[in-house]
Amino acid sequence: MDSLGSSFGMNASTQTKKQQWMDKIRQEAAVDQARALIDKVSENCFEKCVPKPGGDLSKGETTCINLCMEKYMSAWNTVSRKYIERIQRKDI
Amino acid sequence: MDSSSGTGDLNLTDLSPNDKKELQQFITNEAQKAKIQSTVHYLTDMCWKRCITSKISSGNMDSYERPCMENCVDRYIDSQMTVLKHLEQLRGSF
Repeated sequence: MDSLGSSFGMNASTQTKKQQWMDKIRQEAAVDQARALIDKVSENCFEKCVPKPGGDLSKGETTCINLCMEKYMSAWNTVSRKYIERIQRKDI
Repeated sequence: MDSSSGTGDLNLTDLSPNDKKELQQFITNEAQKAKIQSTVHYLTDMCWKRCITSKISSGNMDSYERPCMENCVDRYIDSQMTVLKHLEQLRGSF
Protein backbone atom coordinates (compact mmCIF):
# COMPACT_ATOMS: atom_id res chain seq x y z
CA MET A 1 0.00 0.00 0.00
CA ASP A 2 2.70 2.45 1.06
CA SER A 3 5.09 1.48 -1.68
CA LEU A 4 2.36 1.45 -4.33
CA GLY A 5 1.36 4.98 -3.32
CA SER A 6 4.93 6.24 -3.38
CA SER A 7 5.62 4.71 -6.76
CA PHE A 8 2.81 6.83 -8.21
CA GLY A 9 4.22 9.90 -6.51
CA MET A 10 1.29 10.14 -4.09
CA ASN A 11 1.70 11.15 -0.51
CA ALA A 12 0.98 7.69 0.76
CA SER A 13 0.95 8.51 4.46
CA THR A 14 -1.75 11.22 4.35
CA GLN A 15 -3.74 9.20 1.83
CA THR A 16 -3.74 6.41 4.38
CA LYS A 17 -4.60 8.77 7.24
CA LYS A 18 -7.67 10.03 5.39
CA GLN A 19 -8.68 6.46 4.67
CA GLN A 20 -8.18 5.60 8.34
CA TRP A 21 -10.50 8.44 9.36
CA MET A 22 -13.14 7.29 6.92
CA ASP A 23 -12.92 3.69 8.11
CA LYS A 24 -13.14 4.86 11.70
CA ILE A 25 -16.22 6.99 11.03
CA ARG A 26 -17.87 4.27 8.96
CA GLN A 27 -17.22 1.75 11.72
CA GLU A 28 -18.63 3.97 14.47
CA ALA A 29 -21.72 4.62 12.39
CA ALA A 30 -22.20 0.88 11.88
CA VAL A 31 -21.86 0.19 15.62
CA ASP A 32 -24.39 2.92 16.47
CA GLN A 33 -26.73 1.55 13.86
CA ALA A 34 -26.46 -2.02 15.16
CA ARG A 35 -26.94 -0.88 18.76
CA ALA A 36 -30.09 1.07 17.88
CA LEU A 37 -31.53 -1.94 16.06
CA ILE A 38 -30.75 -4.32 18.93
CA ASP A 39 -32.40 -1.92 21.42
CA LYS A 40 -35.56 -1.68 19.33
CA VAL A 41 -35.75 -5.43 18.67
CA SER A 42 -35.29 -6.23 22.36
CA GLU A 43 -37.89 -3.70 23.44
CA ASN A 44 -40.56 -4.64 20.90
CA CYS A 45 -40.02 -8.40 20.95
CA PHE A 46 -39.93 -8.58 24.73
CA GLU A 47 -43.21 -6.74 24.79
CA LYS A 48 -44.68 -9.08 22.18
CA CYS A 49 -43.24 -12.43 23.29
CA VAL A 50 -42.93 -12.17 27.08
CA PRO A 51 -46.14 -10.49 28.28
CA LYS A 52 -46.06 -12.42 31.58
CA PRO A 53 -42.45 -13.13 32.60
CA GLY A 54 -42.14 -16.51 34.31
CA GLY A 55 -39.36 -18.34 36.15
CA ASP A 56 -37.43 -18.85 32.93
CA LEU A 57 -37.67 -18.02 29.25
CA SER A 58 -39.86 -20.81 27.90
CA LYS A 59 -39.23 -22.65 24.65
CA GLY A 60 -42.26 -20.91 23.15
CA GLU A 61 -41.01 -17.48 24.23
CA THR A 62 -37.56 -18.17 22.79
CA THR A 63 -39.02 -19.25 19.45
CA CYS A 64 -41.24 -16.17 19.44
CA ILE A 65 -38.26 -13.89 20.09
CA ASN A 66 -36.26 -15.44 17.26
CA LEU A 67 -39.14 -15.10 14.78
CA CYS A 68 -39.91 -11.62 16.06
CA MET A 69 -36.33 -10.54 15.46
CA GLU A 70 -36.47 -11.76 11.86
CA LYS A 71 -39.79 -10.04 11.35
CA TYR A 72 -38.57 -6.80 12.88
CA MET A 73 -35.53 -6.68 10.61
CA SER A 74 -37.71 -7.39 7.62
CA ALA A 75 -40.05 -4.59 8.74
CA TRP A 76 -37.06 -2.27 9.14
CA ASN A 77 -35.98 -2.96 5.57
CA THR A 78 -39.50 -2.39 4.26
CA VAL A 79 -39.75 0.94 6.09
CA SER A 80 -36.29 1.98 4.94
CA ARG A 81 -37.10 1.22 1.30
CA LYS A 82 -40.43 3.04 1.49
CA TYR A 83 -39.06 6.09 3.32
CA ILE A 84 -36.11 6.51 0.95
CA GLU A 85 -38.37 6.09 -2.07
CA ARG A 86 -40.63 8.79 -0.64
CA ILE A 87 -37.89 11.30 0.16
CA GLN A 88 -36.39 10.80 -3.28
CA ARG A 89 -39.71 11.80 -4.85
CA LYS A 90 -39.02 15.21 -3.23
CA ASP A 91 -42.66 15.62 -2.22
CA ILE A 92 -41.93 14.38 1.29
CA MET B 1 -21.91 9.16 16.48
CA ASP B 2 -19.44 9.96 19.20
CA SER B 3 -16.77 11.91 17.34
CA SER B 4 -14.64 12.55 20.40
CA SER B 5 -13.81 8.93 21.17
CA GLY B 6 -11.29 6.47 19.89
CA THR B 7 -9.40 8.40 17.27
CA GLY B 8 -6.19 7.04 18.78
CA ASP B 9 -3.10 8.21 16.96
CA LEU B 10 -5.12 9.77 14.16
CA ASN B 11 -4.50 13.48 13.96
CA LEU B 12 -6.45 15.83 11.72
CA THR B 13 -3.51 18.20 11.37
CA ASP B 14 -1.64 15.51 9.42
CA LEU B 15 -4.10 15.86 6.55
CA SER B 16 -3.57 17.94 3.46
CA PRO B 17 -6.16 20.70 2.83
CA ASN B 18 -7.56 18.62 0.00
CA ASP B 19 -7.91 15.54 2.19
CA LYS B 20 -9.58 17.67 4.84
CA LYS B 21 -12.11 18.89 2.32
CA GLU B 22 -12.85 15.36 1.16
CA LEU B 23 -13.16 14.20 4.74
CA GLN B 24 -15.55 17.06 5.50
CA GLN B 25 -17.74 16.00 2.58
CA PHE B 26 -17.58 12.38 3.71
CA ILE B 27 -18.69 13.33 7.23
CA THR B 28 -21.57 15.42 5.88
CA ASN B 29 -22.75 12.42 3.86
CA GLU B 30 -22.41 10.03 6.80
CA ALA B 31 -24.33 12.42 9.06
CA GLN B 32 -27.09 12.60 6.46
CA LYS B 33 -27.21 8.80 6.29
CA ALA B 34 -27.30 8.54 10.09
CA LYS B 35 -30.20 10.99 10.21
CA ILE B 36 -32.18 8.97 7.67
CA GLN B 37 -31.47 5.74 9.55
CA SER B 38 -32.57 7.30 12.80
CA THR B 39 -35.90 8.27 11.18
CA VAL B 40 -36.23 4.72 9.86
CA HIS B 41 -35.75 3.40 13.42
CA TYR B 42 -38.42 5.75 14.70
CA LEU B 43 -40.88 4.85 11.93
CA THR B 44 -40.28 1.10 12.22
CA ASP B 45 -40.92 1.23 15.97
CA MET B 46 -44.06 3.33 15.64
CA CYS B 47 -45.51 1.39 12.67
CA TRP B 48 -44.62 -1.98 14.23
CA LYS B 49 -46.82 -1.10 17.21
CA ARG B 50 -49.69 -0.24 14.86
CA CYS B 51 -49.34 -3.02 12.28
CA ILE B 52 -47.90 -6.08 14.00
CA THR B 53 -50.85 -6.67 16.25
CA SER B 54 -51.32 -10.44 16.15
CA LYS B 55 -49.25 -13.22 17.66
CA ILE B 56 -45.80 -13.74 16.08
CA SER B 57 -45.97 -17.02 14.17
CA SER B 58 -43.55 -16.30 11.33
CA GLY B 59 -40.34 -14.42 10.66
CA ASN B 60 -41.94 -12.78 7.63
CA MET B 61 -44.65 -10.16 7.49
CA ASP B 62 -48.00 -11.46 6.25
CA SER B 63 -50.30 -10.03 3.57
CA TYR B 64 -51.85 -7.63 6.07
CA GLU B 65 -48.70 -6.56 7.90
CA ARG B 66 -46.46 -5.63 4.97
CA PRO B 67 -48.89 -3.22 3.24
CA CYS B 68 -49.80 -1.83 6.67
CA MET B 69 -46.12 -0.99 7.35
CA GLU B 70 -45.81 0.65 3.92
CA ASN B 71 -49.02 2.63 4.31
CA CYS B 72 -47.94 3.67 7.80
CA VAL B 73 -44.78 5.29 6.41
CA ASP B 74 -46.67 7.05 3.63
CA ARG B 75 -49.47 8.30 5.88
CA TYR B 76 -46.99 9.51 8.49
CA ILE B 77 -45.25 11.64 5.88
CA ASP B 78 -48.65 12.84 4.59
CA SER B 79 -49.56 13.85 8.14
CA GLN B 80 -46.28 15.68 8.55
CA MET B 81 -46.94 17.54 5.29
CA THR B 82 -50.48 18.39 6.38
CA VAL B 83 -49.19 19.84 9.64
CA LEU B 84 -46.61 21.93 7.80
CA LYS B 85 -49.15 23.19 5.26
CA HIS B 86 -51.63 24.11 7.93
CA LEU B 87 -48.95 25.86 9.95
CA GLU B 88 -48.12 27.88 6.88
CA GLN B 89 -51.81 28.91 6.57
CA LEU B 90 -52.02 29.83 10.24
CA ARG B 91 -48.92 31.96 9.98
CA GLY B 92 -50.72 34.12 7.47
CA SER B 93 -53.61 34.77 9.80
CA PHE B 94 -51.59 36.12 12.72
